[in-house]
Amino acid sequence: MVGSETATESSVEWWPMIGLKNLLSHTLKSSNCVPQHIGFIMDGNRRYARKTGQAVRAGHEAGFVSMSKILELCYESGVNTATVFAFSIENFKRSEHEVKALMELAKERIRQLTEHGELAHKYDIRIRVIGEISLLDEDLLEELLKTTEMTKNNKRAVLNICFPYTGREEILHSIKNIISEGIDSKSIDESVVESHLYTGGLPPLDLLIRTSGVSRLSDFMLWQSCRKSTVIEMVDCLWPEFGPARIAWILLKFAFKKSFSSNTTSLEDEDEDEEQLDEAKDGSNRFESSKSFENDFKYANKMEKFQ
Amino acid sequence: MSEPRDEARATTGKSAENLQKTRLLRSESTKFQDHVAPPIVGALKRGSANTKMRTVKAIAESILINKCSDEKRMKDEVDKHGQWKHSTMGIIEFFVYKILLVGLYIAYGIFRYFQYQYNLMKLRILNVFYSPSNTPQLIRQDVRKLNKIPKVLASILEVKPVGDVGGGSKGLLNDGSKLVCWTVSAGIKQLILYDYEGILQGNVELFREGIYAKLSKYYGPYNVPTFAVKVPHENKVYYNLKGNSQKKSKVSIEVSLLSSRDGRETIVDLTKTMAHLYKQGDLSLDEITVDLVDQELVQLVGHEPDLLLYFGPALDLQGYPPWHLRLTEFFWEADNNQVTYSVFIRGLRVYAGAQMNVGK
Repeated sequence: MVGSETATESSVEWWPMIGLKNLLSHTLKSSNCVPQHIGFIMDGNRRYARKTGQAVRAGHEAGFVSMSKILELCYESGVNTATVFAFSIENFKRSEHEVKALMELAKERIRQLTEHGELAHKYDIRIRVIGEISLLDEDLLEELLKTTEMTKNNKRAVLNICFPYTGREEILHSIKNIISEGIDSKSIDESVVESHLYTGGLPPLDLLIRTSGVSRLSDFMLWQSCRKSTVIEMVDCLWPEFGPARIAWILLKFAFKKSFSSNTTSLEDEDEDEEQLDEAKDGSNRFESSKSFENDFKYANKMEKFQ
Repeated sequence: MSEPRDEARATTGKSAENLQKTRLLRSESTKFQDHVAPPIVGALKRGSANTKMRTVKAIAESILINKCSDEKRMKDEVDKHGQWKHSTMGIIEFFVYKILLVGLYIAYGIFRYFQYQYNLMKLRILNVFYSPSNTPQLIRQDVRKLNKIPKVLASILEVKPVGDVGGGSKGLLNDGSKLVCWTVSAGIKQLILYDYEGILQGNVELFREGIYAKLSKYYGPYNVPTFAVKVPHENKVYYNLKGNSQKKSKVSIEVSLLSSRDGRETIVDLTKTMAHLYKQGDLSLDEITVDLVDQELVQLVGHEPDLLLYFGPALDLQGYPPWHLRLTEFFWEADNNQVTYSVFIRGLRVYAGAQMNVGK
């Protein structure tokens, strides 16, 4: 515990702030309109380090502190699942020194999260490391599996740490698993692909937050975030500066929008549906029947060509 | 029922009115006893979809509905969380949070109202600043200042309610052809138009005519740029108009029409085919790589766009092909609801200033 205390020294807060944070999160929780699954692209740690004249490692440390504060507020407000983008497969392109430092940091921090009295224990969170984990060193992998194993019986919430991960690799992973399981090709549909993703079985992504003012997905949760009605927030601040106040504001925005739209859009939706029927009658419906057959043919031909 | 009717017939019209009023009042009071939402809520729900009033409506409704359904919601909450059962402290706590929430909603609602008005004003001013008035030269001038332009541009279009300005499928076709004109004028060779329901795909003929008409407005009837309309899902390419659709080796712009069918469903189809080939022994698991899937999906759907413009109020990808969004830059204007040139050119500007560092 002594070790963790020194490590999180900068995260020690003034007690009225903690009270205010809890009050805010309980208030948000009472709205019953909190997103069930939030994705975070934690971008801007290195820029933060550069800006404040610190070492790169210090930037990542600050990013971790920021992450644990934000996750605390999210889980306190009733969020069920959070997925954080910790390390992209593309990040292996960085300098060997930095990659190594990041790996060390991740190992240490994930262990810290699972320690007694920390986040995982406090909110009964199951921590999962998802992604192409075979790319990691064996020692590290073993260590990660050992620590995450300890939380596997926690039921109330889930934290996915994407490490090392890309959205395309996730889709590929799903496709490969489906094929190797030998599922009958007739029974493969969207829900089957979805359930074979790393996030299969978890609630659908409701909210995606990206920091540092960049408006790209950068290969994060591609399949999940293209879903209709997933809210995407691009925030113009670096990740370590993205504090609890900002996440609370976004959650309030989300709850406000949701509780408002669920009350009034019922009528509008009906209108739209009717309209859609009228207009789509001669449109998309026409090909519906011949589509799958045609496609199978097309794909088969192309695959032959490829070989 | 016969008694009041006789009375009403006997007395003057004025008293009949009074009678009706009292009857209304009586029905209202019974409603209150049953804890049904007061009639104001109903009135608001049925009210016209006046977009300017939306935010005000939002505040009012959130307050009213929160207060009205408090008790019911509280019961749910108490059931969910066992520790609150039978504890007055829990109930008091719950009410405190509810009241705080209403306060927050009011504060946010007021803020949102002003933000909305500010955004609308900003958009109006921008629309005055950037109006191409059907002249490609002006667009070219705007684009020449930029140090890079996207190779592939994509846009998500939405059908608006038929009653609105630019609503219905006609409005959508019009928006699409406007975008084609701007894209040609900006010197971008590839445009992807996505609409969830596939209305553009279903009306290719009309759309081609629409593009032709718009282009001849911009470039004059004798100087219309050549264009190709592609429907990747049907594997079809249409050149120019129906009459003179001779194949040309070079076109000024290639327009791909996508719908939600090209998104997740296409990936599912690809999985099916691969599963089939795997069972036949024509494909091994090691052969399935990101590159292979990418190659297939590029053939089936098209290239990944460099910039995606969304002409709606808040970014919603609406099932756009997920594989093709890896490094795509998004641009949308908050609270905008129209396909306007100002959004188009501002998107290009932001893209020109964007820095790309993959993984680094």
